[in-house]
Amino acid sequence: MIQLYPERLRHKTDLGWLKSRPSFQFGEYVDPENSGFGVMRVCNDDFVAPGRGFGAHPHSDMEIVSIILKGQIRHEDSLGNVEIASAGEVQRITAGSGVVHAEYNPSESEELNLLQLWFMPRERGLTPSYETARYDQAKLRNALLPVAAAVPAEGVAKVEQDLTIYLSRLDAGRELAFRQEKGRRVFLFVIEGSLTANGLALGTRDEARIADEPELALAAGGEETFLMLIDLP
Amino acid sequence: MKETFIVKHAVGGKIFIDTGKRPVPYKLEEKADGGYRFTVTTPRGPEIEELLELARELNVFVFRDYSEENEPTIKTWFYVKDGPVAYDDGRQALTIDAESKIEYVPDRYLS
Repeated sequence: MIQLYPERLRHKTDLGWLKSRPSFQFGEYVDPENSGFGVMRVCNDDFVAPGRGFGAHPHSDMEIVSIILKGQIRHEDSLGNVEIASAGEVQRITAGSGVVHAEYNPSESEELNLLQLWFMPRERGLTPSYETARYDQAKLRNALLPVAAAVPAEGVAKVEQDLTIYLSRLDAGRELAFRQEKGRRVFLFVIEGSLTANGLALGTRDEARIADEPELALAAGGEETFLMLIDLP
Repeated sequence: MKETFIVKHAVGGKIFIDTGKRPVPYKLEEKADGGYRFTVTTPRGPEIEELLELARELNVFVFRDYSEENEPTIKTWFYVKDGPVAYDDGRQALTIDAESKIEYVPDRYLS
């Protein structure tokens, strides 16, 4: 079963300095019927104005993964980490028993765009930690590249949950196959371009929530397509 | 110094208790095991019911505002984990147990 969630129907938050498109209920967007997908609780497509961001605030018992698509993000936390991440990098916070952090767009001119994803962890009360992983953007070409996963590897952020986040850049018309294990879910998000998933058409920023589709055929449309696929319980 | 006690949903941000906007009597005690217990005297209502349903996803704060002393606000966040978070109908009291806390000064971030 593939459920399509088109971008045009997604809730839109506009605070001036922050434009956000939450996939699930978040902040002012309240929809108890759309509070998550498996262990996934948040997928915010955030656009942050230059010099603006989120002040110090806490998190606990959540795996927070930020995929920077454009611009830069400056992160600072109560663990002592201060770091700037850019496109091509993935930030991961294991909030566990508690971490305070602040994040903002340090640029004076360029907008920041990131996908911020929250997942419930494998267990509560984990020791908080933070990392940034830089993946090889050339390896996105016509392949599903893991950028965050339960098993650590070079260029892969370690997540304390049984999931894998893949990114891919498909050339126009190219196809990819993904085999989904029984009982698992797939969250599919088109970052740029268009594709079909088992024949269902998705445009830019559309998403699909997929279950019980053992074989998933992804085919890019008439342009290069940048996509995120998350395999999760 | 002005103290404010706040309980919010950690994911959505919905505010259940904010003594700065709607005062309710509350007490903070340090427990013998090193944890913390908040006791809030308040009638049981829809907000409390929802808070109890979301007991595993609460952000609990105490803000201490020192602006009259020209000092920065100090925020203390409490890690509730498994609580317990419970309501006693007889005493009309909500209790929230927390395991640990982090004290921070927001002004010292984004430096």
